Amino acid sequence: MRSIVQAEWRRSLILAARYPMETLSSILTMFLVFAGLFYGASYITDSPIGAGRLATIVVGYAVWMTMMSATGDMGWSVQNEAQNGTLEQVMMVPRGAVWVFLVRALMAIVVFLIPLVMVVCAMIALTGVGFVWRLEALEPFLMTLITAWGLGLLVAGIALIFKRIGQVLNIVQFLLLFVIMIPLGHDPGWLWHILAVLLPFTAQVALLRHVLQTTAPVPPSLWLSAGFNMIIWMLTGVMGFIGAERFVRRRGTLGHY
Amino acid sequence: MVILDVLNLSKTFPTRMGPRRAVQDVTFSIARGEVLAFLGPNGAGKTTTIKMSAGLIRPDAGKVRIGGIDLWQHHDPAVQQMGAVLEGSRNLYWRMTVMENLLYWGAMRGITGKAAKSRAEELLDRVGLGDRARSLVQSLSRGMQQKAALCQALMTSPQVLLLDEPTLGLDYEAAASIKSLVRELAQQGTAILLTTHQLDIAQELSDRIAIIRQGQLVLQGTTSEVLQQYSQPLFAIEGAEPWPLEILERVRGVPGSIQMIDPLTLLFVPEAADMAGIYDLIAALTPHPIARIQRHQADLSEVVQKVLTEGVTA
Ligand SMILES: Nc1ncnc2c1ncn2[C@@H]1O[C@H](COP(=O)(O)OP(=O)(O)OP(=O)(O)O)[C@@H](O)[C@H]1O
Ligand SMILES: [Mg+2]
Repeated sequence: MRSIVQAEWRRSLILAARYPMETLSSILTMFLVFAGLFYGASYITDSPIGAGRLATIVVGYAVWMTMMSATGDMGWSVQNEAQNGTLEQVMMVPRGAVWVFLVRALMAIVVFLIPLVMVVCAMIALTGVGFVWRLEALEPFLMTLITAWGLGLLVAGIALIFKRIGQVLNIVQFLLLFVIMIPLGHDPGWLWHILAVLLPFTAQVALLRHVLQTTAPVPPSLWLSAGFNMIIWMLTGVMGFIGAERFVRRRGTLGHY
Repeated sequence: MVILDVLNLSKTFPTRMGPRRAVQDVTFSIARGEVLAFLGPNGAGKTTTIKMSAGLIRPDAGKVRIGGIDLWQHHDPAVQQMGAVLEGSRNLYWRMTVMENLLYWGAMRGITGKAAKSRAEELLDRVGLGDRARSLVQSLSRGMQQKAALCQALMTSPQVLLLDEPTLGLDYEAAASIKSLVRELAQQGTAILLTTHQLDIAQELSDRIAIIRQGQLVLQGTTSEVLQQYSQPLFAIEGAEPWPLEILERVRGVPGSIQMIDPLTLLFVPEAADMAGIYDLIAALTPHPIARIQRHQADLSEVVQKVLTEGVTA
């Protein structure tokens, strides 16, 4: 297992270094987004943006981007491998493909978060705005991430079967927007609680909002729904992927459609 | 000692046009150091069988054992013993160099650090790619890519090597170097299953052959024995100087048929395939100087053609 992590880490670095323009331009884009958020917000509201507000924006951005990438990366990876003819070699790795793709997903997040932290630090240095590191957001963030990986594995399973992921992913990510924006209000009713247990991200995002916006202690029921939901989605993802793997091995369509 | 054991494999693919039977009750085994050439026309089921042996296609029935381990029950330890280069697919990451690929795939199978590096270097030197270790795979020629893919499959020194059309589209020199590597690996004890449509290569490399047609094995045997079996009871006798015309008169009494196909060569088919008839012929030819007597030796393409068009002879 450790050697798989090592191999994937090295592969990410190699590919990032091989195409420095791609890597640089994505960092630059990120920088511009933050600059836009930061200066734009303070320009429009005509008041300097507060340190707390900036932190919330950064966390929100990081979570959203992470969700998008974690739900999509494994699916894209499967599609590319199938097109390039390396998918069958991946499937012959002793540990099993679920692990390979999960490790890859982890590397993708690391590769995304490192420049993000760098950009944020650069912004702080440039603007002199104080920045509150919201470490209390870490746990909800990790929960969101793991949920997203579960969903991502499910998407990757679909990619294994259909070898094409663009459409599915568009739909999935569009639906995610709705799921996240299910209004919470002051006193979420029982319907919301049921949805929060079943739908991906609803509970985790609510938890994140709670942690970022108030200092009140998090109601245990929220922790519970978020954790339970995360486990459900991870299990669903793993089982969905393995099921899809079985299906294509039986169909003989692992390497092609 | 048998390393790869394939028992009664069958596979029917569900397709839009209904079920398609691809492989039916195929059984064979390969021992340490043995090369089995798997032959047959397009669509016969060779790739399907190889992929079932690699765990990529699940058979409807039958078993695959690698080094005694059941592939479908204990996938991980079984595939650890196996390397495969599949047909058509590229097998390597094009945007990484040859060395990066070898180290990556090695690590995925648990070979890391110095051991991996030196194994990769050794393999690349062996196939003559030592100076291309730092080239991107996409910049290599077809032959070099195929060699690199072979090195990739060999990183873990597998006991079983599966090669689906390893010399497809390769020029003479590249094919020759793959051939010699396969031979070397077999000498060192690897059990090798290879498919090819190049029958001369199969004949040179294989210890045994199996011919599959429409999903069923129609012939299996030791290459030399099969060739022997399919050889005609027919001799070519080459004179050291042109045969005089009256020679045909002189041998008339010898049982069998004799033809002069060119001034130097007589063809002799002994009666009732009695090979001892050659001695009568030689006696009758005395004292004309003889340069060479050769019994007909079938080559694989004759065997395969015969088997596929006429079925198997006893
Ligand atoms: N995934 C699949 N789904 C449906 N049918 C398949 C599938 N894979 C192979 N087949 C069919 O199974 C049969 C055997 O195919 P296979 O690829 O094993 O032949 P082959 O001997 O490797 O041929 P070739 O020499 O052309 O490579 C063919 O009729 C093929 O169309
Ligand atoms: Mg084939």
